[in-house]
Amino acid sequence: MSTLILVLFLLLGTYFVAVIEEWSVTGRLRPAGPVRAALRLLGTESVLARKPDRLFFEVAPVLLLVAAILSLAIIPLAPGLIVTDLATGALFFNAALAYVLVALIMGGWGPDGAYAMIGGWRFLGQLIGYAMLVVMPITAVAMRSESLSTVVIVQSQEQLWNILYQPLGFVLFALAGMAMAFVPPFDLPTGAGDLAGGVEAEYTGVRRLVFRLGRMVLILSVASAMTVFYLGGWLGPVLPGWAWSAIKILVVTALMLAAGRALPRVREASFLAWCWKLGIPLALVNIFLVGVLVLVVPL
Amino acid sequence: MTAQVFFLAAFGLAAVWFGIVVFRTHSMVRSALALLFSQTAIGAMFLVMQAEFLGVLQIMMMATEMSIMAIFMVMFMMDPGGLGEMDMKHQRKLSLAAGVIAFLAAIGVSVFADWGPAATVVPSADEQLRMLGIELLGRSMLIFESAGLTILTAMIAATAVAVQMPAKKEDAS
Repeated sequence: MSTLILVLFLLLGTYFVAVIEEWSVTGRLRPAGPVRAALRLLGTESVLARKPDRLFFEVAPVLLLVAAILSLAIIPLAPGLIVTDLATGALFFNAALAYVLVALIMGGWGPDGAYAMIGGWRFLGQLIGYAMLVVMPITAVAMRSESLSTVVIVQSQEQLWNILYQPLGFVLFALAGMAMAFVPPFDLPTGAGDLAGGVEAEYTGVRRLVFRLGRMVLILSVASAMTVFYLGGWLGPVLPGWAWSAIKILVVTALMLAAGRALPRVREASFLAWCWKLGIPLALVNIFLVGVLVLVVPL
Repeated sequence: MTAQVFFLAAFGLAAVWFGIVVFRTHSMVRSALALLFSQTAIGAMFLVMQAEFLGVLQIMMMATEMSIMAIFMVMFMMDPGGLGEMDMKHQRKLSLAAGVIAFLAAIGVSVFADWGPAATVVPSADEQLRMLGIELLGRSMLIFESAGLTILTAMIAATAVAVQMPAKKEDAS
């Protein structure tokens, strides 16, 4: 039964993320949008670039999808409703999503196109910026829960959600998470108005469909992680746990995509400068503050 | 137990195979990513040996490290795509000898070292995490701190060398 619910979560979650993504771009809620887009891509010829690195070109979209799905394995939707409750869950999330970078580098290098290649390497630069800002706020979350298990992390927020307990960490993690899922304004590797689509530029037809699907699952995964680490996961009154998880994840996705659309795209160099000159010192302050709070106010 | 040994051997062979692929390909990016998958296979071996934290850490760290190595290889090599069929093997005799000696040394250490009694009970993953944390703040602290400081020094030095200072203003005289 729980397997069925988890598969449904993956499918429906991806579908809703796709609907919300289209809404954030066009301003219209079209329930049939994802289906239509998928059919259109399936009907398009899948062009192969000249002299490609065929192996990388084919593997990249699949690796993106697999990495994103794997990272969802440690997301608890309700008590007991989780694929695998690893003792190193919060770390596993990062380990799985590190392969998003590998996928984008492969996808950028594979088709032997300048725009795609620049897009792929850009994401590597982006990782240098956001990586620390994903890991360091999670450290502070784990300090409070005294565990890396995502289930224990949610349980540790019974009294007070982490968004209120460590708001600084939430802001940093939210921005870094958006950079990790390369949603606007951090969509440097695939920006539509920039580099002609970057990594996505040379992908057409079914390969592009898999790539876009992986991207949607990735956004779902980052939104789920924000919910689990900072918004109390399944915790909430009246409604059952899974409903709260679903509501929070969808709201986070909508806010993330809508807010990103309203902001101007960040330039690579300024992103790195902001991350290292402001973000990392703030993340260290956050770890220090949470350390003091954990000792002084054991909530 | 047999399943464990089987998977351990399978991932070990995968690690060795990807290590060979590093030198069989001509493309720098393929070479770097083959090394990545070799290291990932080693991470999987840790997972099979029920060292969950080490496995996950290995799998995570290598993805970023090898990708960064890939871009450096692309930047510094004259033929990063390998379209000119550049040979990846250099100084064959020397490297063969070094490889054989290192292999024999590793085998020798693994056979002759006194490893103490094998662990009969594997601590749970939470317990391992706790023990690792205490180890890092105890006996091994000095080693880790000095390694960390060395890496930090190297990073600062490398950045200082790489940064292009703005040209000094000429004197008005």
